[in-house]
Amino acid sequence: MTTHRAWWKTALGLLFTAIMLFPVYWMVNVSLTRTGDLRSDPPHWFPWEPTFEGYTAVLDQQLPALGTSLLVGLGCVVLTVVIAAPAGYALGLLHLRGGRTLNFLLLVAQMIPAVVMAMGFYAIYNRLGLLNTVGGLIVADSTIAVPFGVLLFTAFMSGIPRELLQAARVDGAGAWRTFWSVVVPLSRNSTITVSLFAFLWAWSDFIFASTLNRNGDLIPITLGIYHYIGNNTTQWNAIMATAVVASVPAAILLVVAQRYVAAGVTAGAVKD
Amino acid sequence: MTTTPTAVGTHGAPRGAAGIRPAAPTGRRRRGPSASQWAAVGFAAPLLVYLVLFYAYPLWRNVDLSLHDYTIRAFVQGNAEFVGFENYAEVFASSTFPTALTNTVLFTVGSIVFQFAIGLALAVFFRSSFRLSGALRAMFLVPWLLPLIVSASTWAWMLNSDNGIVNSVLGAFGAEQINWLTSPDTALLSVTIANIWLGIPFNLVILYSGLQNIPGDVYEAASLDGAGAWRQFWSITFPLLRPVSLITILLGLIYTLKVVDVIWIMTTGGPGDASTTFAVWSYREAFGTGQPDFSPAAAVGNVLILVALVFGFLHLQLQRRQEDS
Amino acid sequence: MHHLTRSAPRRTIALAALTTLAAAGSLAACSSSDSPGTGASGGSDDTYTWWDPYPQHDESSDWTKRVQACGEEAGVTIERTAYDTTALTNQALLSAQEGTSPDVILLDNPAVSTLADTGMLTTVDEFGLDTSAIDQNLLDAGVVDGAAYGIPIGANTLSLYYNADVLKDAGVDPASVTDWDSLTAALKKVTDAGHKGITFAGIGTEEGSFQFLPWFWGSGADLTDLDSPEAVEALELWKGWLDEGYAPNSVIQNSQNTTWEEFLTGDFGFVENGTWQVNSAAEADFETGIVQLPAKDGGVAPAPTGGEFIVAPVQQDTERYETTRQIVECMTTPEGFVETANTFAYYIPPTADGQQALLDEKPELEPWVEAVQNAKGRTSDGLGTDYPIISEALWTAVQNALSGSATPADALKAAQADAESGTN
Repeated sequence: MTTHRAWWKTALGLLFTAIMLFPVYWMVNVSLTRTGDLRSDPPHWFPWEPTFEGYTAVLDQQLPALGTSLLVGLGCVVLTVVIAAPAGYALGLLHLRGGRTLNFLLLVAQMIPAVVMAMGFYAIYNRLGLLNTVGGLIVADSTIAVPFGVLLFTAFMSGIPRELLQAARVDGAGAWRTFWSVVVPLSRNSTITVSLFAFLWAWSDFIFASTLNRNGDLIPITLGIYHYIGNNTTQWNAIMATAVVASVPAAILLVVAQRYVAAGVTAGAVKD
Repeated sequence: MTTTPTAVGTHGAPRGAAGIRPAAPTGRRRRGPSASQWAAVGFAAPLLVYLVLFYAYPLWRNVDLSLHDYTIRAFVQGNAEFVGFENYAEVFASSTFPTALTNTVLFTVGSIVFQFAIGLALAVFFRSSFRLSGALRAMFLVPWLLPLIVSASTWAWMLNSDNGIVNSVLGAFGAEQINWLTSPDTALLSVTIANIWLGIPFNLVILYSGLQNIPGDVYEAASLDGAGAWRQFWSITFPLLRPVSLITILLGLIYTLKVVDVIWIMTTGGPGDASTTFAVWSYREAFGTGQPDFSPAAAVGNVLILVALVFGFLHLQLQRRQEDS
Repeated sequence: MHHLTRSAPRRTIALAALTTLAAAGSLAACSSSDSPGTGASGGSDDTYTWWDPYPQHDESSDWTKRVQACGEEAGVTIERTAYDTTALTNQALLSAQEGTSPDVILLDNPAVSTLADTGMLTTVDEFGLDTSAIDQNLLDAGVVDGAAYGIPIGANTLSLYYNADVLKDAGVDPASVTDWDSLTAALKKVTDAGHKGITFAGIGTEEGSFQFLPWFWGSGADLTDLDSPEAVEALELWKGWLDEGYAPNSVIQNSQNTTWEEFLTGDFGFVENGTWQVNSAAEADFETGIVQLPAKDGGVAPAPTGGEFIVAPVQQDTERYETTRQIVECMTTPEGFVETANTFAYYIPPTADGQQALLDEKPELEPWVEAVQNAKGRTSDGLGTDYPIISEALWTAVQNALSGSATPADALKAAQADAESGTN
């Protein structure tokens, strides 16, 4: 009976995914369409006369930008986890006084519109000399993920069984040792979840890259797309091709990471 | 991954929302409060520095912009006149204000309700793992990978009145042409649909993780008692997910209030003001015209933050009430 | 490394504090690689910074090489940054606020008066640049209070492209399109023959105003008076086309690029578009041609000028102006103008000599030169910084009228009220 149900569910799952990803299919469709056919009425379901000029343009020109985006994404992940995990520990397990206020402040931090942040950063970075640097962009992108990361880590860490922490304390471990040897290994799933969010948000960021990183030798892919947007003309098939090519490595990362996000905390506690 | 944000900012033991561990507080601070507090401060120090450095300044700057009259000349020269709350008065008295307010409410409520409902439904669907469930769940996150200019443009493409695929399909069923993006009646609806699509992955991931923390034996016990799937959902899943749901909705609210790109790329807030929300209005004042109007833009932006704050407070109250109960 | 003692908490704080400082420090240190000089202004002594709105021309393009060549002639290296045109004005303002303006900016002509008004631009007189050869109608866009703040590097404008195959099939002679009535009649014939009539851009941004202006000016209306009867006639022309089905509903949302894509499908008889599509028109699957945009009662309608101005922001170190002047002069020789024209398909040079040189090379551009000579700057007539406000009111009115939210007359009346309150 379980196999029966499984088939039915798989079919339904495929259907839902297909509906959800239809716009993505359309994106691929456009990326292969000739400029002359882009606006044909009725629209072509399938690119019958495909053109690969979009993809050739991307592969010729955008690969460094892809590399930069990857670098920024990973850097953002590291920075976010390094700041958010200890903070989550402080709030969730060490019961920082004023923790509730801090949490509220974190919520407020997320309410600030991105444009406001970018304009503020421009001034700060200008004085710190961080304009047009990959490091600066990493820090800017992390502001999107850090408050959320702290929230997630706090929630998770406060759910770690007290017995494990007590056992560590009985052994004489201080706060740091407890953190490093007990809490961090147990937080693997939340770390991966936070990393996932941080990576995705950094990968698709445009506003910070546009304001702060225009002239670097290394620009991320979201800016690379503007290569195809002229003053009055736009090469849509190249833009869509860029998006498709950019999605592939990130999609792979996603599939790998999903497995860890899924497992519950009980599994983590038992295994470790 | 835990799902008990009730622990957030509290000093007691988390309630058994996810039923993970004993409810009685067994953790006792073994050292005097000060030592533990010092440790806590130490661990939170990077975050505190980070917050002050990177959030305080832009926020202060935005407030400053809204309290002065920053013509672009004053912006460059730095000698803006202090005008107190005049910018805010202008904003509230503006003819765009009521439209923007209505649109913001409709857009936000519409987006959140559907994002949450669909995300929850999908999370429940994926809860029992079947073949390919892991890979399919990962595919649902693909919309997140795409730069917003691409996803928003793709939706604009699909919803084009004359050569969009949506109208083409509808036409095949005999429906009339709907001017999705160019009619004041449907512009807001169109951007809401695109925004819902964009928000489903976020809700799915968080709610799914929340569901993972509800132990299977609770469900087994329920089905032994004869409860059907629907009953199980309402009596077990929904209540146990409440803290996760609250935080998901709150975050969803905050993020949706800030949405600009999707609307801007699809309709630029138009036609006219038909799909202008506060965030779009603020953006348009600052960057949408040849004459940047930073002060009104900042004022609108601050109104937005205030609205979000109100909901933040609400959430805090709800949390406290839950803990006290 | 970590002792299990009770002093661990304090050590933790110290460690955390140090880590934070170290991280911040290393970030600052690692930032040295690319950053242009902060502090004073522009770049270092032999690096001059240059901003332009052409991100589609990258490091290896002819345009960059040309820019570098001008730099070398002046004895310096030019560091070029490309922004998309919508972001450029704001970046310029941000950098001016910080005192880090670049040495040279190329920017869209309606934005020149906006920047000039802030006091961040130098006038051409300060620079000792001779602008007597530049066509007045083109130079005017950058004139504020009688002083010219930049030099146009070229101009482009709008015309009416047509699909020769479609027109032949419908029995329309392009030469017959000389005024509004004949154009509407031609559209009727084209749609009766089963094709689509005309497409244009009515989007709610500056592009929408840009495309509406030839009709607005062609009816005899003036930007200071948005609700005059002539203006209402112009808007009613567009609305009429939409109602009759001569223009598709998507024009309300179209950018100029999108209208061109629609035209390339071969379904449309006419499209209102600009000089920059000349190459694409030549490569289309069908034969194309152009006619001048007609004014209401005949003649060529004044179309707005597109194209960038080269401007020099104020610098703290005024010694830099000498070199900047050389760079600007290098870009604005007649040969320089022709080179720019060819790079940007096709900017018409703003001087009579330049235009002649271009026509010698490419005589087929004659209609475009004629169009540019008839064109008008949007910020001319002393409108300056009032123009963006008027423009926003205008495109909003167009959007409201075309989408049916308001009648053309009411929409324009509201627009005039908005424009008046905004420009006071």
